Amino acid sequence: MDLFLQTLLNGLLQSGLYALVASGLALAVGVLGIVNFAHGEFLMIGAFLAWAASTYLGVDPLLAMPLVAAAVFAVGAFTYRVSIRHVLLAPELNQMLLTFGLGILLQNLALMLLGGNTRTVSTPYQASSLQLGALSIGGPKAVAFALAAVVLGALYAVLYRTDLGRQMRAVAQNRRGAQLIGINVDRVYLIAFSVSCALAAVAGVLVCVLLFASPAVGLVFALKAFAIIVMAGLGNLTGVLWASALLGVSEALVQTYVPGGGGWSDAVFFLMIFGTLVLRSFRGAR
Amino acid sequence: MKTLLMTVGLLALSGAGAVKVGVLLPLSGASSVTGQAARSGYQLALDEINRSGGVLGKPLEVVFADDGSAPAKAVPEFVKLVTVDRVDFMAGGVSSATSIAISGPAKQYNTFMAWIGAAAVPVEDAFADDKYFFHYHPWAYYNFEAILSYFRYLKTYKGAKNIAIAYEDGPFGSAGIDATVAAFRKAGFNVVLQEKFKTGSGNFGPLVSKAKAVNPDILYWIGYDTDALPLATEIRQQNLKLGLLYGTPPSWPVGFEKNALADNVAGLSLWLPGSPQAESRKFVAAYKAKFGTVTEEYFAPLAYVNLKTLAAAINRAGSTDKDAVAAELAKTNVPTPFGPLTFSRSNKTQYQGFKAGNWLHFQFQGDARVPVFPIKSAQKPMVYGR
Repeated sequence: MDLFLQTLLNGLLQSGLYALVASGLALAVGVLGIVNFAHGEFLMIGAFLAWAASTYLGVDPLLAMPLVAAAVFAVGAFTYRVSIRHVLLAPELNQMLLTFGLGILLQNLALMLLGGNTRTVSTPYQASSLQLGALSIGGPKAVAFALAAVVLGALYAVLYRTDLGRQMRAVAQNRRGAQLIGINVDRVYLIAFSVSCALAAVAGVLVCVLLFASPAVGLVFALKAFAIIVMAGLGNLTGVLWASALLGVSEALVQTYVPGGGGWSDAVFFLMIFGTLVLRSFRGAR
Repeated sequence: MKTLLMTVGLLALSGAGAVKVGVLLPLSGASSVTGQAARSGYQLALDEINRSGGVLGKPLEVVFADDGSAPAKAVPEFVKLVTVDRVDFMAGGVSSATSIAISGPAKQYNTFMAWIGAAAVPVEDAFADDKYFFHYHPWAYYNFEAILSYFRYLKTYKGAKNIAIAYEDGPFGSAGIDATVAAFRKAGFNVVLQEKFKTGSGNFGPLVSKAKAVNPDILYWIGYDTDALPLATEIRQQNLKLGLLYGTPPSWPVGFEKNALADNVAGLSLWLPGSPQAESRKFVAAYKAKFGTVTEEYFAPLAYVNLKTLAAAINRAGSTDKDAVAAELAKTNVPTPFGPLTFSRSNKTQYQGFKAGNWLHFQFQGDARVPVFPIKSAQKPMVYGR
């Protein structure tokens, strides 16, 4: 029984990190209507900035998080200005090729500037945990989970309780209509894309604390974020949390109870995407 | 005539006729820590060789190529070195996967290879009885022999009996896992868990929970550097009490030794900067003089020994004739930072350099890698958690 409960807990805690990564991606998809294949690379930049803050400035990665998020927000704004906004009205294939190329460019830039080495940080709370009887709750993962809940709550509040949020929803629903009523669509897109990148960076800081920073670290999480937003429904922020929990717990159950399950964990999210798409098409056919 | 003289002059000035060694290394990608360490070793050896007269009376030339830790990139880089750069000899090689990939072109071009890495047995199969393949690094079964000897010691003196194995699901972790389990069982251990994991996923929660349920004395981990910290973190968070966490990654994450979570994690190395041999001390001093720092990666001295012994064999052969150089290299008997180097048969290849007896077991203690086994090489007592 302890193993089963710990497995559920492992999955839930892991899902916090997934939700953080997926929330930014869901925002970009929901507002701009663009699938950002470079999302994992913005996470990687966040991880490296946190590592640099800790290694060279002696600043705790979690304390550096607001600055890291602001820096990557600026990188996102620059990226939007020089590349993304030029393909917003282009066919989807062009958008995908652009963001895919951007991802490769950023990853190779990191390789050239920093090499392929795995970088880690050392913090006093890295191995902290709360023991509840036989169950353990890892400190940094609990922080990631709480942060994901706060971030998603804040995003929801911004989208449904503020003028900017109303503008974002209006732009997402009908770009032309929003323009006609005087909304500065370009500005809304710029903010949405930059916030999306900043959220990836926040996840990157936690990845740096929990795991490591390396040029390829974003890929695993970006793939899982894609699975989550497909499950949640493209652009559906409220669905991200439950979809992340479903993915995290499914992975943990497979890893614990299926023989050789550790090798199957990457297949879980592909199965989830497949299952979700089949279910949706079945519902659509009815 | 004038043109001919000019051409000859230009060729002489350009160093035409100098011996060229192609060095294929993973300078980027998953094995880049190892590849970059090896490159430093080659550069140091190259300096020393050329300072002492070069090879066959001319400065030795080394052409580096990056295989990107990927077989798909290794093959064209290898072919370019052999056909475009027209190197006389090939050296380097770290990963087993890239070495298997280039075994085809190596046979096609009948390439002379002085190889420093690639421990997996499928590489040995690919180069079985090749008369131009000199393998410096011990094969995987020599590595395992060394590990088994350490674990036997732990069984006798610390009561270690139950082993859990966590292995990555690629060729590095999975090839030979059945033989590993069988060998542990034959040696009287209980293999209480064998779990695959995806390298780089960082998701060790379920694996550690399962290990906790079976209460192992030793957790033997076969994976890459990216997994070291997440695994150590999860073990501490879930309060898994072990006698020893023992890992065999090709390299460890940069700065891992400074993390408190690294304390008492043990591993395998052919060499440590504190190794007592005179050749090791000489290497450390020369390395420090050139790079201003000391490396902990054994691939640096391994590459150094590799190029020095190859250059010496070419000089003794008096030409770049492959048969003559192979005959001379086969006679190598020199002191190295790892102990004496001679070549003898392995299970399948003609020329095997270092074997099980060259391995050292270390433990991260107080920000450093400290040799703890074999006992004659131990600098501090090992910390065993039970």
